[in-house]
Amino acid sequence: MKVLAIAYEVKDAGELAKAVKEFNGEADILAVSRAAEQVNEVARYSKRVYRLASKSPYAIYKALENLVERGGYQLLIAEGYRNLRDALSRLAGSLDLPMITDAYTIRILDGEKVLVERGFLSERAKMKVEVPLPAIVLFIPRFTEPLEPGEEGEVIELAPTEGPEKVLDVKPKAMGDVNLEEADIIVGVGRGFKAKEDLHLAFELAELLGGQVGCTRPIAADLKWLSEDRWIGISGKRVAPKLYIAIGISGSPQHMSGVQNAKIIVAINKDKSAPIFKQADYGVVADLYQFVPILIQKLKEKKAKG
Amino acid sequence: MSVIAVLVKASLNPDMVRAEPDGSIDVSAIPLKISDIDRNAIEEAVRLKQRLGWKLVTVSVVTWGPVSARMKDVRLAVQESLAKGSDEAIVVADDALTPGDQTLTAKAIKAALERSGIKPQLILAGEATIDEVTSQVPGRLAALLGYSYVSFARKLEVEDGKVIAERDLEDYVEVVEAPLPAVVSVTQEINEPRPPTLLQIRRASRKPIKTFGLRELGDIGKPSRKLLEIKAIQARRKQVIIEGETLEEIAEKLIEALAKEGVLQL
Ligand SMILES: Cc1cc2nc3c(=O)[nH]c(=O)nc-3n(C[C@H](O)[C@H](O)[C@H](O)COP(=O)(O)OP(=O)(O)OC[C@H]3O[C@@H](n4cnc5c(N)ncnc54)[C@H](O)[C@@H]3O)c2cc1C
Ligand SMILES: Nc1ncnc2c1ncn2[C@@H]1O[C@H](COP(=O)(O)O)[C@@H](O)[C@H]1O
Repeated sequence: MKVLAIAYEVKDAGELAKAVKEFNGEADILAVSRAAEQVNEVARYSKRVYRLASKSPYAIYKALENLVERGGYQLLIAEGYRNLRDALSRLAGSLDLPMITDAYTIRILDGEKVLVERGFLSERAKMKVEVPLPAIVLFIPRFTEPLEPGEEGEVIELAPTEGPEKVLDVKPKAMGDVNLEEADIIVGVGRGFKAKEDLHLAFELAELLGGQVGCTRPIAADLKWLSEDRWIGISGKRVAPKLYIAIGISGSPQHMSGVQNAKIIVAINKDKSAPIFKQADYGVVADLYQFVPILIQKLKEKKAKG
Repeated sequence: MSVIAVLVKASLNPDMVRAEPDGSIDVSAIPLKISDIDRNAIEEAVRLKQRLGWKLVTVSVVTWGPVSARMKDVRLAVQESLAKGSDEAIVVADDALTPGDQTLTAKAIKAALERSGIKPQLILAGEATIDEVTSQVPGRLAALLGYSYVSFARKLEVEDGKVIAERDLEDYVEVVEAPLPAVVSVTQEINEPRPPTLLQIRRASRKPIKTFGLRELGDIGKPSRKLLEIKAIQARRKQVIIEGETLEEIAEKLIEALAKEGVLQL
């Protein structure tokens, strides 16, 4: 069966190639955005790589429409970046293809149908679904380990098509240099904090524990108190620390799905009926402004004693 | 008169999921509520309607059946949109379309608009629903209608036959311009939705809701997705509340518990 994998970041190529190896063998790759800038890296995962030097959803949509119609691809796979959700949803509408998002696992049945397990109900649940081929499947980010790279395949250049949407300006976001995915301990902050200055409590606690600071969506995206690489949850990062300390976080499904693989979760919240207490291993019902300084003090004492 | 359409889904409420001990979930027992980000889409639509003097129409497709058991929740979601300033609503409800999928939803929205003789200049949607979280219905609809599409807008202006929006992407923000007619999906950060006033809620009950079944829409196909199984992701957490006379005592007990778990290295 002919599979086309769309790589947006360079790392996607190895991850998608690994998945395809398990259910199909091989795939051709379309490299776009940053993956197109480093197409030689991407080419080590496939015999045939199309390069589209663009991240415009319209250009990606049109390139794919062409490839599907001419190349006979039965399955398109990618990871769920916002520009790819945009491009592939348009393709799905235009070619009348089923599209499944937030996939964890995939299987092909009789070369005719695809069976996928995916997140459902803001990841409170998993759903097993079946759709006929041809189809589109988007995986959750970093859903698997990458494949070992091999020989560089052939690269075919594609020209981007201009669409009705014109880009007037691009503003990069300020990013920190945290890598929450690698952190063993994460202190998570939520709207229980009343001011940006107060976040020093969380940073002090994290530093003492040798951890990092993460946050809920409103802290990063809305209030902009922290950079977006610290945003944890269904539309942010998925993390798996040994210890997650959630401070002033209510426990919405969209946030908690990002920490479901944490080994131990601690919740500090002043409302004893906050939903987070049902999703935590240890809960402290207290005002963070009173409790966190005491916790820091006690940890310092303990550290001094060795 | 120019029309804005806003897409509103009555979604399964993820906060109300009850799982059996074996993890299975009875979807028909989960109540529906308006999908959170559709509230942002409504707020933005009302703001534009007031500024531009256009008409505002709410469109909703019933995805989770059976229709008879779900109509109360669906009506509540739609009435919220009417109360906030939508002029009328179109609801697609047919047991043959449930459980729906995104392929069918987009086709049903298109067909319902056409049957109503409405050609919106602008269609606003949420970036994603709270049950399915796919971010695909608006893009599908844009392709089906041949409209331009601006996704993940966190800022939106409409002027001179075009939209100007800020698209919020993972690591950058892009200012784009697109001609009308257009579909725009908005993010949670675009505005702060205001709850309707009591007077608005009372007035809403007099606004028209048109309901379409499959018979009125014609053949729009069937859902292509087969649901085989739905299982809860069980949060197996200890749920221990640490208590004590003083906060100092609680802090000490917490540190001790974490040390015992082997997750503290001081
Ligand atoms: C499609 C979609 C995607 C989303 N994606 C994400 C995502 O990826 N990540 C994410 O985080 N959210 C996401 N959200 C938003 C999510 O639904 C919640 O709105 C958000 O997680 C709430 O953040 P919070 O817990 O910081 O704030 P709140 O829910 O406001 O909770 C604040 C908590 O702080 C407590 N508190 C207040 N004062 C104190 C005090 N002095 N001491 C101690 N506790 C105090 C309160 O009791 C409350 O429980 C998404 C939503 C949607 C619809
Ligand atoms: N059944 C539906 N009826 C009306 N609008 C919908 C429906 N499903 C999705 N939408 C719209 O499409 C957006 C994205 O939904 P989704 O693709 O399911 O994540 C939602 O926020 C709604 O605005």
